[in-house]
Amino acid sequence: MYYFILALLPVLSIFLQSTIFHYFSIKGSIPDLVLIFVVFHAVFRGERRGTLYGVFCGLLEDLYMGRFIGVNVLAKGLTGYIMGKAQGNVFKENLWVGIITVVAGTFINSLVVAVLLMANGTVLDLEVVYSVLYQCLYNLLLAGPIYIWYYYYIYDGLMRAAGEN
Amino acid sequence: MFKLLKSKWFWLILVVVIGAFITMNQTSLPREDITLLEKAVHGIYTPLQNGINDIRGHWGYIGDLVSDKRTLQNRINELEKRNIQMAIDNQALREYEAQAKRLQELLEFKEDNLDIYDLQAAAIIARSPNNWNKTVLINVGANAGIQRGMPVIHPDGLVGRISSVSQNSAQVSLITDREMAVGVILQRSRETNGIVEGTGSSDVLRMNNIPYYSSIEENDRVITSGLSANYPKGIVVGTVSKVNREPSGLLLSAEVKPAVDFDRLEEVLVITNYHPPPVEDEETGE
Repeated sequence: MYYFILALLPVLSIFLQSTIFHYFSIKGSIPDLVLIFVVFHAVFRGERRGTLYGVFCGLLEDLYMGRFIGVNVLAKGLTGYIMGKAQGNVFKENLWVGIITVVAGTFINSLVVAVLLMANGTVLDLEVVYSVLYQCLYNLLLAGPIYIWYYYYIYDGLMRAAGEN
Repeated sequence: MFKLLKSKWFWLILVVVIGAFITMNQTSLPREDITLLEKAVHGIYTPLQNGINDIRGHWGYIGDLVSDKRTLQNRINELEKRNIQMAIDNQALREYEAQAKRLQELLEFKEDNLDIYDLQAAAIIARSPNNWNKTVLINVGANAGIQRGMPVIHPDGLVGRISSVSQNSAQVSLITDREMAVGVILQRSRETNGIVEGTGSSDVLRMNNIPYYSSIEENDRVITSGLSANYPKGIVVGTVSKVNREPSGLLLSAEVKPAVDFDRLEEVLVITNYHPPPVEDEETGE
């Protein structure tokens, strides 16, 4: 059940991001729900699982887009690793953990994607910075409620890993 | 160092990174066909996205039912006024069309107006799930004869090109995407050729490398030139909103406001029978 929900979350996120969220975009920017779930998984499960989950989610996203397959694999994988490594001994009951990690994760993910796209010949300008800032704001708004839900389900609900109480 | 080499985790990550760079390189160029895995992913999403599009259509209908009657009446009045104006413009345009056809026959010009093309209507059921690409998904695919590379238009102007095709859906790269470029010409003067590129923003396109002696000015209409093999000639791309001089002083650049409102785009038309003009072989002259 746990792994099924883990796999379902990015699928649902991509579906929401490609349909409903565009009607609620901020200056053309939509949130990155996939990234939020990768970051939270890394925070709760550590850097190795965070990296693997980031790679899996990034691959799903890249297969949907069909162009530059591998960019999101590396970006979300690296974000999962860094967030997992940085979570250390923080108190996960604290909501600020969720918010700060999502903001940091948004910047890391966007930076890696931008570098890889430029390495592949795409020309980027300052508009990208504004787009990332608006996305960061949107992710920040969603991070709080999703973190509360995620924390509850990790310890008490459907996403409780097998063998844990 | 040796401890690292013995770690399975290290080798797994190395394989993933190398694999990612290889696939990135392979998929950076446009591909004729997408892989089975990508088609499977699209096959999962397309029915769901079609469903959401249907629900949104019904929701809009319900919204109209409960809207203020006065608001609806004002909207109807506005549309009727626009309709009358368009009917008047249409009469004049038909006269110009007839005159142009007569002159073309006299001068034996090849016909390349838009009305000779077959158009397949399609609804937009999804957009790109990230902010880096500007693509939309339409609800017709290989089952309707859609192929990669077909131009996509809207009554207001040019929308983009089909970039990949699945059985029941197709992905359209919009001209506002950073990777897209369109060969254009100014409708008024017809002397300035150029390329309009997407900037990632849905209300600005960029036209570069315009010669300094060009007569380009604000509010000039920009249309496809037909010189590239991608789009037919004469489709409106946008209007010039700003002209800048490059630091070197030899070239101009311009910002072009797209003719199509990409944020509110809901339906498009795919040109299914556009064949680019044959290129003359320099050696054989054929």
